[in-house]
Amino acid sequence: MINNYKFNTSLIRFFVYIVLIFLLILIVVPIWILLVNATRSTVEIQQGLSLLPSTHLVDNYNVLQNRGLNMVRGFTNSFYLAAVSTLVTVYFSMLTAYGIVVYNFKGRQTFSNFILVLVMIPTQLTIIGFFQYMSRLGLTDNYAALILPLIANAGGVFFSKQYFESMLIQDLIDAARIDGASELKIFHSIMLPLAVPGAVTLGIFAFVGSWNNFFTPFILITSVEKYTLPMLVRSLRGDVYRTEYGAIYLGLAMTVVPVIIMYAIFSRYIVSGIAMGAVKE
Amino acid sequence: MRKSLLTILSLLMIASMVLAACGGGAPETDAPADSGSGSGGSSDSGGSASTGGEKQVLKVWSFTNEILTMAVAFEGQNPDVDVQFTMIPMDAGEYQTKIKAAIGTADVPDVVALEAAFVKEWVEADFLADLGDLLPLAEELQTYPSVVEVGTHEGVTKAYSYQATPGAFFYRRSIATECLGTDDPAEVQALVNDIESFLEVAETIKQCNPNYFTVGTSGELFNPFLANRAQPWIVDGALVIDPQVEAYIDFAKLMRDNGYESQANQWSEGWFAGMNDSLVGADGQPKKVFSYFLPTWGLPYVLIPNSGDTGGDWAMINGPLAYQWGGTWVGAMADSKNLDLAKQFVAFVALNEENLTNWATGVYTNEYLKAIDPTIADGQSQAAGDFVSSQVVVEKITSSFDGSPLYEWLGGQNNYEAFSLAAPNVNGALLTGSDDAIQRALQSARDQYLNGEIDKATMWKQWLDVVRSEFPDLVIPEPPQ
Amino acid sequence: MKFTKINRNYYGYFFIAPFIIAFLIFGLYPLYNTLSLSLTDYTLMTRKGEYIGLQNFTVLFADQLFLKALGNTWLIWLLNFIPQIGVALLLSAWFTNNRLKIKGVGIWRAIFYLPNLLIPVVIAALFNSFFSFYGPINQFLVRVGYQVEAVHYLQNVEITRAVVIFIQWWMWFGQTIIIVMAGMTSIPVHLYEAAMVDGASAAQMFRRITLPLLKPILIFIFVTSLVGGMQMFDIPYLLTDGRGAPSNSIMTNNILMYMKFASSRGHIGAASAVAVLTFIMTTICALGIFFVLRDKDDTVSSKPKRSWFTKKSETK
Repeated sequence: MINNYKFNTSLIRFFVYIVLIFLLILIVVPIWILLVNATRSTVEIQQGLSLLPSTHLVDNYNVLQNRGLNMVRGFTNSFYLAAVSTLVTVYFSMLTAYGIVVYNFKGRQTFSNFILVLVMIPTQLTIIGFFQYMSRLGLTDNYAALILPLIANAGGVFFSKQYFESMLIQDLIDAARIDGASELKIFHSIMLPLAVPGAVTLGIFAFVGSWNNFFTPFILITSVEKYTLPMLVRSLRGDVYRTEYGAIYLGLAMTVVPVIIMYAIFSRYIVSGIAMGAVKE
Repeated sequence: MRKSLLTILSLLMIASMVLAACGGGAPETDAPADSGSGSGGSSDSGGSASTGGEKQVLKVWSFTNEILTMAVAFEGQNPDVDVQFTMIPMDAGEYQTKIKAAIGTADVPDVVALEAAFVKEWVEADFLADLGDLLPLAEELQTYPSVVEVGTHEGVTKAYSYQATPGAFFYRRSIATECLGTDDPAEVQALVNDIESFLEVAETIKQCNPNYFTVGTSGELFNPFLANRAQPWIVDGALVIDPQVEAYIDFAKLMRDNGYESQANQWSEGWFAGMNDSLVGADGQPKKVFSYFLPTWGLPYVLIPNSGDTGGDWAMINGPLAYQWGGTWVGAMADSKNLDLAKQFVAFVALNEENLTNWATGVYTNEYLKAIDPTIADGQSQAAGDFVSSQVVVEKITSSFDGSPLYEWLGGQNNYEAFSLAAPNVNGALLTGSDDAIQRALQSARDQYLNGEIDKATMWKQWLDVVRSEFPDLVIPEPPQ
Repeated sequence: MKFTKINRNYYGYFFIAPFIIAFLIFGLYPLYNTLSLSLTDYTLMTRKGEYIGLQNFTVLFADQLFLKALGNTWLIWLLNFIPQIGVALLLSAWFTNNRLKIKGVGIWRAIFYLPNLLIPVVIAALFNSFFSFYGPINQFLVRVGYQVEAVHYLQNVEITRAVVIFIQWWMWFGQTIIIVMAGMTSIPVHLYEAAMVDGASAAQMFRRITLPLLKPILIFIFVTSLVGGMQMFDIPYLLTDGRGAPSNSIMTNNILMYMKFASSRGHIGAASAVAVLTFIMTTICALGIFFVLRDKDDTVSSKPKRSWFTKKSETK
């Protein structure tokens, strides 16, 4: 009886591993082919599929450079935009959430429900009105139009609120107040440092969200000097006289490798972060 | 643990602070941040106030990098001008959308390049400046009348082109010899003189070697067929489905069903691979493509750069249909703050004898451009051979192509001479402002039909539905039977 | 003392003020602006608009593409959401199962989440070249003899939709697993122990204990995924021609909105009308589902370790 049970369990376990490995292949193979093709020449790629790298990485890079598409600038732009977006999102989300959690002001409940409702509203759909409005203000083709709206990031507030509620903070605040600290100072010098793990998680989401965002910059940004990486990748494909498959793959790979490296370092925080509170995509 | 987290966060903060600081302080053109923090309202007032010793800035937008070459040459002649060149690919109409989006904002360009597919849309609208005062230059250079006609709406000329774009038929001499018994241009022309005989040749080539395709894709004949329509797409607010459109669809279906085409879409990797014999079927068999329908610009931009070591094995003739395809016009935006400079630039690009001569004869090498602006990419240059819009220039330079590398590439033909014979026949009256959207919608439905996914009636319906969605006010006729 | 406390609570307004101001300027006004533009014939090419009432909407309802886009959006979302939540439930159940003791749960989860971090533009470009006529999938299938000749995969309506659905699933199932697992691990172990004493089978425990207690999290995933799904743009836009080819089969609401925006006149009014209708539909569905399902849940009331959605007033 017990043997049978054990046998069953290991059979199921075997089956589970098969499924997991299948999913692993589904995930890894496309990414692997992308990386391999970045090292193959256009002719080699046209000859057929290969899972082994070739020797044309440098050639492909030279072709990519000669096309006048400045991948490094795309990187810098995307990084700059993502970093500032991250700071703005984290700081203001925490600020707002702290206000909700700590102060029992009139309308707090309404406001808190309102945030929850905002999380469930398709805000991206107002892009047309947003665009026309920004163009009236002369803010199109300006990163400010991408950054300032993040001050009111409902998903970020929702997450931060969950986070603050899970920390027992009232005692600390009271102690600080007795010491005569101002409310804002309590937030800055006591609560923010304590909330660093949550901030990192939220920050990673904000960063990835900005890094991967295509639609909004696509509508709002015009000059190539301000193109973000996704827009640049789009140009890579859209070039009329394109001929160099290998270089295109290399361009794609160049966007993927840093993310994978970052992820290898940060994956623990990312995974535990999602578990802490679902953030709106 | 907590410490490392803190370190990471603060590193991130410092990094972005540094970036932000760079942007705010240093007015370097390449810094990503300068635009983010400092532009907008402040820059125009500051710009106009302090132009004293500074360079005049001219914003030029285009959908390829060609005009960048001329922009650098222009800077070479006008050292006090800084041309800010922006390339936005025109995939799925993104380029046009970007210009529309910039109108009325501080980002509006001074000069825009406009492709044949949508130049009319802009010439018909009110955003381009009247460039009528450049007409004497065009007369002097004897710019092909069709080129000026395209840039003119209701008597007002708003755009000029440096190109005239008659089309041609380029074929592989080796395959012609092997399958048709001759590679002589005149004899091959006699064999493909109309669409019927072209289809016969296609069958001959297929019989000759099943791994040979007559064309990369029947999509290449879309423009040739359309160029032979009697009426443009839109007449008096109604869509016109010319018999040539139907003829094209039937032709394309025949090409697909009989396996005369490689099925690689235009501008896809497989299509380019056919130019240098590196096309490999899914079965691992090498494939060859006999011919390409390309206009003037197709030769220096598309065919030669992708031809690998097949140079010398090509020949050029008129092919079954006379046509023109594409071309880049340039216009100045009416609300440009530098309208005079913008006009000067347009005149330089399209109506300057020296520039057009340099452009066509390969003077603008990478070294030439680097001498003016060392930051230019290594690939930026203009090879000889683009066919220019000025008859004066064409006459002067035609003989210079005899014996040139281009001449050798074509197995001993002077492309300029052949194009100069075809160019006066180009008809500019068929272009309308709605062509691009109508044609893209038709191509999408066509591909479905060719692939056997939908029947012909569905194809027409699907196309017309999209046209109706795009142009709700347009009168749509009953679909063809 | 009481007085100062009340006073202090006013600081709350100060803390939430930036949010409210930014929301008014960058959230509410654009929404209002979209709504009012949808009642005009404003275009990018004219830069002005006249009030034309509901005309944009009547045109839209007569537009075959709009109805098609609406159907596509729902279909693509549903067909990627169901397997996404299914796989997530299954894997989470396995990962949290004490008997199976799957090794390296953290690593598996991390790998499954990886696609979510890649730029969608890159993913679409990648799959586009995989499925192209001369691309690797054709090469592979012909050479192993599964296909006689190469096929235009992305000309086939079903296959193209399937590719979009697969990519969406591929990108999002890892995240769903992580969230579902977080919910499962927060279910008190003693509930299962008690059930086992009563002789419940694994399937029974899953249905009677796990699912009901997971409900709040599942609703949350459901609603946020719905909101994201109704705004789907990147992958279907970039996979084919940006116009929903083949046969408009992967044209979504947002692609149609962008097409109106990018149409030859740049018809912002019509684009806004698409946005307004999608907005209303999505908001009603999302909030409706959320509040209907959640209220029922309250009557069943159990106590998951962290309550995700309990209102303050209700916990009192």
